[in-house]
Amino acid sequence: MTQHSTGTSITFDQATKTYLGAAAPALDALDLEVEAGELVCLVGPSGGGKTTALQLVNRLVDLTSGDIRIGDRSITDQSAIELRRTIGYAIQQSGLFPHYTVADNIATVPAILGWEKKRIRARTAELLELVGLSPVDTWLPRYPAQLSGGQQQRVGIARALAADPPVMLMDEPFGALDPITRVAVQDEFLAIHRAVGKTTLFVTHDIDEAIKMADRIAILKPGGKLAQFGTPAEVLSNPADDFVGEFLGAERGLKRLALTTVGEVVSDSHDRAGAEAETADARTTTAGWPDVEATMTLREALSVVSAARAEGAIVHAGDSRLGEVSLRDLIAPPAAGEDREGVRA
Amino acid sequence: MSDFAPLGDPVIPDYGQVSDCVINNGVFCGDWFISQWATVFWPPLLSHIVMVAIAVSIGFVIAFFAGLLAYRKKWLAGPIGMAATFLYTLPPLALFQLLVPFTGLSLLTVEIALVCFTLVIIFQAVLVGLSGVPDDVRRAATGMGLDRNQLLVKVELPLALPSIISGVRIATVLTVSIATIAAFVVDDGLGSPIIKAVSSPFNTQFVGAGALAVLLAFALDGLLVLLGRVLTPWTKARS
Repeated sequence: MTQHSTGTSITFDQATKTYLGAAAPALDALDLEVEAGELVCLVGPSGGGKTTALQLVNRLVDLTSGDIRIGDRSITDQSAIELRRTIGYAIQQSGLFPHYTVADNIATVPAILGWEKKRIRARTAELLELVGLSPVDTWLPRYPAQLSGGQQQRVGIARALAADPPVMLMDEPFGALDPITRVAVQDEFLAIHRAVGKTTLFVTHDIDEAIKMADRIAILKPGGKLAQFGTPAEVLSNPADDFVGEFLGAERGLKRLALTTVGEVVSDSHDRAGAEAETADARTTTAGWPDVEATMTLREALSVVSAARAEGAIVHAGDSRLGEVSLRDLIAPPAAGEDREGVRA
Repeated sequence: MSDFAPLGDPVIPDYGQVSDCVINNGVFCGDWFISQWATVFWPPLLSHIVMVAIAVSIGFVIAFFAGLLAYRKKWLAGPIGMAATFLYTLPPLALFQLLVPFTGLSLLTVEIALVCFTLVIIFQAVLVGLSGVPDDVRRAATGMGLDRNQLLVKVELPLALPSIISGVRIATVLTVSIATIAAFVVDDGLGSPIIKAVSSPFNTQFVGAGALAVLLAFALDGLLVLLGRVLTPWTKARS
C-alpha cells in the first residue's frame, strides 16, 4: 500500500507575466486561490494566458511580478528542478518519451528521486491499475507508439501521479483525443481525482469539459485578466460580463441543464404531483413518453424527449420506475444553482 | 615489392602455370584473385578499414561535440555549419596537396583530409537529430524536473540517435570511397593496388580492389544499420 499525500492549496498572488519584448502582459495580476483537493479549470480563448498561468506554477515560465504559493511556500523558495519534482505534470499529446517503455515512462520521476527498484515496480503497477490499464504485465513493456491516443493519455496521467505529488498541473491533456475516448478518459480522471484528492489546475479551451470536470472554473479573457471565478453553476447562471456570456455561448442555458441529473428532479416532481388523483390522471397523459435513466443529465433527457416529440419522460433507476418528469421540470429545474450568487472578479 | 601486375607486353611473363583468363587478360580472373589475395588484396583491405575507422571515429567525436555546441548555442550553428561545409567542398586531391608541405607524405595527412570530409555530414546529423526532438516531449521532461544534463542524456540524445546513425552511415560510405585516393599520398589502402593497376592493362587487380572497396562500404553500412537497430528498439515497435 502506498499512502497518498493529500492535496495542498495553490495561491496566485497578483501573479503577472510579461514576455520579453511584449507590450502587454500575458497574465495580468491574477489573484486565485485553489483550495486543497480542488479541481479548478482555467478556460478562455487563446491569448487569455491560461497556459502561461499553468506554466508559472512549475516555473517553466518565470514570474515578472507577484507570487505563487503552494501551501505556505513560495515557488521561488526552492530550485525550479526541485519544485517540478513535487508537481505532477500532464500535457496534450501526453508528452510520453517515445524511447521509454510504459514502465520506464511512469518511473521517470521516481527514478530521478532515487527510489528503490522494488518500490518503483510496485508503484508503477499500482498506477497502471488506477488508470485502468490491466493486466499490468501486458502494458509495462510496450512503447508509446504501440498505444492508442487514449491509452497514451492514461499513461501520461499515471506518470504525472508517479511520485505522489500534492499538486497536479494538466495542460489540455485530453485535447487531442476523439470525442468518445475523450469522454471515457474524462470520466476515469474524475474518478481518480475523487480517489486521490490532488489539488489540480486543469487548462482547457473546451468550456463543456470545464463544466463537466471542474469544482470551480476560472475564465480568463484576452490580456490575461480573470473575468470570473466560480462554480460551473454560478458561472452559467450569472456570467460576470458580456465576455463571459459570449464565451459560454448561446447554449449556456442548455449547458446548465447538464449540471443536474434527472434523478435529482424526479423526486421534486413527485412531491409536487402529490395527490393520488393526479397519478391516475397522469397515466393517460404519459402515454408515449420515452424512458430515461435517473443518472442522465437534464440536457440528455431533454434531447430524448425532444426526439420522441413527447411532453415528458418516464424515469427509471435500473429496473425500478421512479416516476415521471414533465418537459417543464426538465427545462426549469428548481435546483440548478441559481440560489447561489456568482463570484465576480 | 612486385605484388602487382607488371607493366608492358607480354601481359604476364612466364610465371609458370597461369589460367587462360590471365593470359587473355579477362575482366576478372577468380583464380588469380584468390592466389594473390594474401599479398595483393588482404593487406590493403586491412589498412583501408583501419584508415576509415580512425577517420570516422575522430570525425564523429569532433562533429558530435560541435553539434552539441551548436544545439546549445544556436548562434554558433551557422558559422560551424559553414566552416564544415567549406571543408567538404575542397577537392580531396587539392587538400592533400595543401597538407603535404606541413605533414608530409604520411598517414597523418590522409587522416586529416578524411576527417575533414566527415565533419559536415555528422555535424548536421547531430544537430538535426537534437532539433527534431518533439517539443511536447522536451516540455514534459523539463516540467517533470529533469535538469539540463538529464534531459540531454535521457531524452534528447536517445531520440536523436536514428538521425546520428544515418549520418555516420553516410560518412562511413563516403570515407571508404575517398580513402582510395589516399594512395596518392601513402602506399596504403585499397587505392594502392588500384592506382598501380591503372597504369597497367591487367584488369583483375583494379577490378578486384575496386570491388573490395564497394563490398567494404556495404558491409560497414550493414553493420551500422544493425547497431542502429540494437540501440533504438523503440523505432521498430508498432502496434
